[in-house]
Amino acid sequence: MKKMSSLKISISGVRGIIGESLTPQLAAAFAQAFGTYTGGGSIVVGQDARPSGTMVKQAVISGLLAVGCQPVDVGICPIPSFLFLTKESKSSGGIAITASHNPKEWNGMKFISRDGLYLTPHQTEEFLDIYHQGEFYFVEPERYKSLKTESNPAEPHLRKLISYFDVDRIRSKKYRVAIDCSNGAGAVLAPRLLEALGCEPIFIHCLPDGTYAHHPEPLPENIIDICRTTREGRADVGFVQDADADRLAVVSEKGDPLGEEATLALAAQYVLGKTPGPVVCNLSTTQAIDDIAGRVGASVIRTKIGEINVVERILATEPRPVIGGEGNGGVIIPDIHPCRDSFTAMCVILEYMASSGKSVSALQKSLPRYAMIKEKVPGSAEQAFRLINLLKKKYENKGRLELLDGLKVRMSDHWIHVRPSNTEPIIRVIAEARNRKKATAAIRRLKREITALQGQL
Amino acid sequence: MKLLKIGISGVRGIVGESITPRLVMDFAAAFGTYLNAKPILVGRDTRISGPMLHAACTSALLATGCTVLDLGVCPTPILQLLVKPLKAMGGVSISAGHNDIKWNALTFISRDGTYLNSFQGAEVLDIYHLGKFKKVATNGLGRVKAAEQAADAYFEKLGAFLRTRTVAEAELKVVIDACSGAGARFIGRLAGILGFELIPINHEPNGFFPHDPEPRPRNAQQVVSIIKAVGADIGFLLNSDVSRVSIVTETGESLSEEFTFPLVANALLEADRGPVITNLSTSRMIEDVARGRHCPLIRTKVGQSYAIQTLLQENAVMAGEGSGGVALSKFQPAFDGFLTMGMILETMARRGKKISQLVKELPRYHIVKEKIYCPPTKIHSVVNEVKKFYRGHEMDTSDGIRVEDKQGWVQVRTSGTEPMIRVIAEDSAKDKARQRADEVIHFVNLIIK
Repeated sequence: MKKMSSLKISISGVRGIIGESLTPQLAAAFAQAFGTYTGGGSIVVGQDARPSGTMVKQAVISGLLAVGCQPVDVGICPIPSFLFLTKESKSSGGIAITASHNPKEWNGMKFISRDGLYLTPHQTEEFLDIYHQGEFYFVEPERYKSLKTESNPAEPHLRKLISYFDVDRIRSKKYRVAIDCSNGAGAVLAPRLLEALGCEPIFIHCLPDGTYAHHPEPLPENIIDICRTTREGRADVGFVQDADADRLAVVSEKGDPLGEEATLALAAQYVLGKTPGPVVCNLSTTQAIDDIAGRVGASVIRTKIGEINVVERILATEPRPVIGGEGNGGVIIPDIHPCRDSFTAMCVILEYMASSGKSVSALQKSLPRYAMIKEKVPGSAEQAFRLINLLKKKYENKGRLELLDGLKVRMSDHWIHVRPSNTEPIIRVIAEARNRKKATAAIRRLKREITALQGQL
Repeated sequence: MKLLKIGISGVRGIVGESITPRLVMDFAAAFGTYLNAKPILVGRDTRISGPMLHAACTSALLATGCTVLDLGVCPTPILQLLVKPLKAMGGVSISAGHNDIKWNALTFISRDGTYLNSFQGAEVLDIYHLGKFKKVATNGLGRVKAAEQAADAYFEKLGAFLRTRTVAEAELKVVIDACSGAGARFIGRLAGILGFELIPINHEPNGFFPHDPEPRPRNAQQVVSIIKAVGADIGFLLNSDVSRVSIVTETGESLSEEFTFPLVANALLEADRGPVITNLSTSRMIEDVARGRHCPLIRTKVGQSYAIQTLLQENAVMAGEGSGGVALSKFQPAFDGFLTMGMILETMARRGKKISQLVKELPRYHIVKEKIYCPPTKIHSVVNEVKKFYRGHEMDTSDGIRVEDKQGWVQVRTSGTEPMIRVIAEDSAKDKARQRADEVIHFVNLIIK
C-alpha cells in the first residue's frame, strides 16, 4: 500500500502531523491566504489544548500580521464558544487551531467566516485558490495592526446559554454531574456553566493540557473512567466532551454509556416534543431520528457528512429547523448558534431531565432502539472511490441506494454506509440495525466484501 | 529590487518586501537547528512590525525543539548580557537598530552573548541555504517561558559596575530621547540606579518613531530645543535597540556621534590600559586618545561582530565605533548604550566637569559622512573601481578602500545594512574633509551612471 499523506486539506480545514507536514511555514502561509481572503480586519485566533497549539498559533499570528490583519489571541477556547465569539465580536473571521478528535501528534486549522460558521465548500475553494497561487498581500509596516488578546473568550457563549435555557428549573434539581473534558478545551467553560446551572460537578480529566487521558474520540470504549466516576460518585448523569468540545457523549446514572448516537436522539426527542419542526442531520446518523420526528410529524433532512454540510442545510431550510446535528454526539440548536455544541447538548439534556423528572436511564428507554456499529478500514480517498463503485453494483438490487456521500444502502431491517474520511486516510464503514446482533452481522459481511474487493483493486 | 541584507550575524530587510513570516521562520529555524533544541532568548524593539517577526521567530524555534525564553520588548545589550545568567544557548534580537520603521532585522546572539562571529554565522547560513531544518514531533516541541523580569539582573550588574553613589551625589539632570524605541521602558531603571533626574522624551513605545532612530545631530532637534530651557547637564539620543548613543551638551551643542566612543575611552583608559578596537571608518579622535594613554589601537572592518571578535582575540579593554557604539570588556562584549550613558555620567560626576568641558579635552577633527544609493547587484564592482581613482596611493582594502595621509583619510565602502556606498572623509581642516569626500563621490557617480 502507498504511504498515506500526513497532510489533509479539506472542507474541514487543514490537518497535519507536527514535525512532518504541519510546519510553521505552512501554518503562516494558510494564515496569510486567509487574511488576504478576508481582506484585513480583525481575525480571532483560538486553540484547543494540544501542546503544539502555541507553535501553530505563533505562526498564524505572524502570517495574519504580515497581511495587515489584527489577530485577537483568545488562547485555549472551546470551538462552539469560539464560533459564537467570532460572530459576536464582529470580526472578519477566525482561525481555530485544532485537529478535533485526531490523535495528539496532529494539529490543524479551521477557518471561520464572519458569521461564526466554518467556511462553506465554495468559500473554502476561493480561499484555497489564494493559498495555491501563493501571492499574499503583504502590507507595509505603516499599515500594520497591533496584536490583541482576549482573556475571557467563552463569556458571550455562556451568557447566551444562560439566557436561552430554563436555568431556574435545572438549578432547582441540584444535579450531581460527572464530567470528563478529555483534557481538552471544554475545561475552560464547563466548570462555569455547571456552576451557573446549580449543579454539583465531579471533574475528571479537566486540566486543559492536551495530554488526553484517553483517546480523544468519545466512543464507549474510551470512556471507562467517566462511567466509573458517574456510578461511584452517585452522579445523576455523566458527560464526556471531545477535545474541542463540539461533541458530547452521555452516561446514565447507572454508569452505562448511552452510545454517542443517543446524544442527538435524546436532544431531538426533547426539542421536538416542545417545538415540532424540521430536523437536519447527516446520512450516517441513527434511524432513531426519523422515528422521533415521525411521532410529531416533523421532517428529517439528510446531508453529506461534515458539520458544514449540516449547517448549510439548516440555514437554507425554511421554516428554520429546530434542531440538527450529527450522530457522533454533535447537537446543533440553530436558535443558539448554528454549530455543534457540547455545552448546548448538556443544557438540553439537563433541562430534559429536569422538566420530565426522569432519570437518564429512563429517558434512554424511551428512545427508539437501534444498534449502530462504526468501523474503519485503511484506505485512501481514491481507493474508497473505486471500492464504492464496485459495491454499488453488488448492492444495486438489495436495497435503496443513496449516493450523496459514499454509498448508503437501506435494506429491510438494516442499513450500511461506506465513505472516505474527510480528515484521515481511512474508509469509514457503518451499519445500523434494530439490535446489535444484526448490526454486527451486517458489518462483518460488509468488511468481508470490502477485503475481497480491495484484493481486486 | 527587494532589499535584503544577509550579514554575518543576521538578516535585515524591508518589512512586507523581503521580511516576510516565511523568511523570518526559515532563518529562525536555521538558527534553532544550529543550536539543536536548547533554550534561547528572544527579544524585540518596539517597531510596529516587531510582533510579526517575534511570532514567526518563536514558532519556528519551537518547531525545532528550542525552548523560547521570551523577553518581550528588550534592548539588545540587555538580551546579550542575560544569555549567560539565564543559561541560554543563544538569542535572537529583533531590531533594525538605527534603520527607519520600514526595516526590521534578526540578529543572532551566541552563547557568549556576542553577535555570531563569521564562522558561526556561516554555519547558520549554510543550514538556511540547505533548507533542512530540524523538525521535532509533538512531544519534543519547545515551550515559551515569559522572562520579562530577567532584566532586573542586568540593572543589578550595571549598578555594581558603576560608581552609583558618586553619580547620585552629583545630582545630574539628564534628558534622554529614546526615540520611542526599546530603551523607552528602561531609561527609568537607569535613572533609578544612578540617581539622576530624568527628563524623558519620546518615551512612549507606540510602534512608530518620532524621527529616524539614528543617534546623530540631525535627529537631535528635540533634545537641543529643550536642554537649556530645562537646565539639564547632558542629553542623550538612543537608537531603537540601545546599542548606540549620541550626546547633546548642556550648552545645546549636538555632538557628532563620533564623540561618544573617545569620550568613554578618555575616561576608561586613565585606569585601564590595553588595546583599543575600532573600525576603519571611525574618527581619528580615538587614535589621539589611545596614543595619549599609550594604548595600541587596532582597526577592523565595520560592524559589531568584527569589533567584538577582535576585542576578544586581542584581549582588549574596549571596542567602539564612530556610530556611537561602545563595549567595555570588563562589563560585557557588546555595544551597550546604558553602559555608555553610565560611563559618561560617572566621568562627569567623578571629575566634577561639565560635558562641554570634557569634550574640549578631545582633539577636533572634521568628518564628512555621505551615502550614495547603488543597485545591490553592482555595488561591490563599483567600490572596486574606486581603486583606479587612488592609483599610486597606499590603500587599505580590508573594508572597501581607505586612503590615509598625515592630515586625514577617506574611506569608500559598501554599507552592511543597506544598498548604498558610504563615503567617509576626515581632516583637521573642514574644507579639506569636504573636498576629500566630494572628489571621490563625483568619481563614483560617474561609474554608476
